[in-house]
Amino acid sequence: MSRHVLERVLHQLSVDRYAKQRFKEDPEKFLDRFALDEAERRMVLGFDVLGLQRAGVNPMLTMGFWQELSPERDMRAYMKRLRPVAEGESVHAAALKQ
Amino acid sequence: MGKIVGGFLVPHDPVMFVAPEAPAPKVREKMWGAFATCAERLKALRPTSVVIVGADHYMLFGTTCLPSFLIGTGDVDGPIDALPGLRRGVIPDSSALAAHIADHGHAHGYDWAVARALTVDHAVGIPNQLIVQPLRDAGEAVGTIPVYLAAGADPYIRMKRAIELGRQIRSAVEDYPGNERVAVIGSGGISHWVGTAEMGRVNEAFDREILGYAERNDLAAIGALTDDYILANGGNGGMEIRNWACAMGALQGARGEVIAYEPVPEWVTGLGFVQLHLQ
Repeated sequence: MSRHVLERVLHQLSVDRYAKQRFKEDPEKFLDRFALDEAERRMVLGFDVLGLQRAGVNPMLTMGFWQELSPERDMRAYMKRLRPVAEGESVHAAALKQ
Repeated sequence: MGKIVGGFLVPHDPVMFVAPEAPAPKVREKMWGAFATCAERLKALRPTSVVIVGADHYMLFGTTCLPSFLIGTGDVDGPIDALPGLRRGVIPDSSALAAHIADHGHAHGYDWAVARALTVDHAVGIPNQLIVQPLRDAGEAVGTIPVYLAAGADPYIRMKRAIELGRQIRSAVEDYPGNERVAVIGSGGISHWVGTAEMGRVNEAFDREILGYAERNDLAAIGALTDDYILANGGNGGMEIRNWACAMGALQGARGEVIAYEPVPEWVTGLGFVQLHLQ
């Protein structure tokens, strides 16, 4: 597991509009440029934010990645990936988009 | 000659802009009002320059370069992450003084990373807009000097080093030949968890501990906090108390006055506002 390259991928996807576009068009091909192993690729492609955090990735990057590019984008769904969220429980997020 | 005239410790909570109506009216009015109070009090200090000490949120700096401490010595603009009500634009700078702080640091063992033209993020952009900009709107000429400490992405600057850096900023200001009246704003905190499973938690006990150190300018106590302790009790966002510690170091010996504090889960943060009065 390389936290470093994962952070590189997520940082690029958070600040580089062109990278974001290429990821949206063909995520597999976009990731070919990086030295990711199969498990790491799966975490990125599956928006496995818990796995990414367990690999040491900065949570600010996982949150931005989720908000920018995940199919759901919703922060309640993001939190559910990290921990059980009870029905009716208020979820407060530091996300820059609501 | 340059002179430090005062300081403030304030939050830079972007959720205030994204979800302004989320907390109870009384709470949100108190928080916005605290920013306005800081602006009024800053005006009374008649500053010519304001150093704002912020933290990058893995936005400005990436995996190819993570500076421990950085100063913007030239043009300033931003914030890069403009939000509803937080506009992006050119920010008046104090480039001569900022360059002097960098030079003075280099001559005294503080190897600043330098940004010649810096687009800041909300850590500098929010205090700039809510506390400094009102002075400009009232006709005052005041420049912003952005300083970034490694508080959002590791390796984090050590707490003691942040305090020492604050002292160094003060030495540099006092060594400046021009007439500059300088305020220092520590931007961040207090407890908050960003992007983690605990996001939304606010730890009032931790917040009040830090506010106590700020009131007493207890540099020994805040400098002794370990990263493990801060992460466990203040969250990854709580690491931003480095920015407060830096400002407290620049205003060593100051009396801290808590202007306002509220734990605001809706804005995912304990929001504390402190004025540092030089004795």
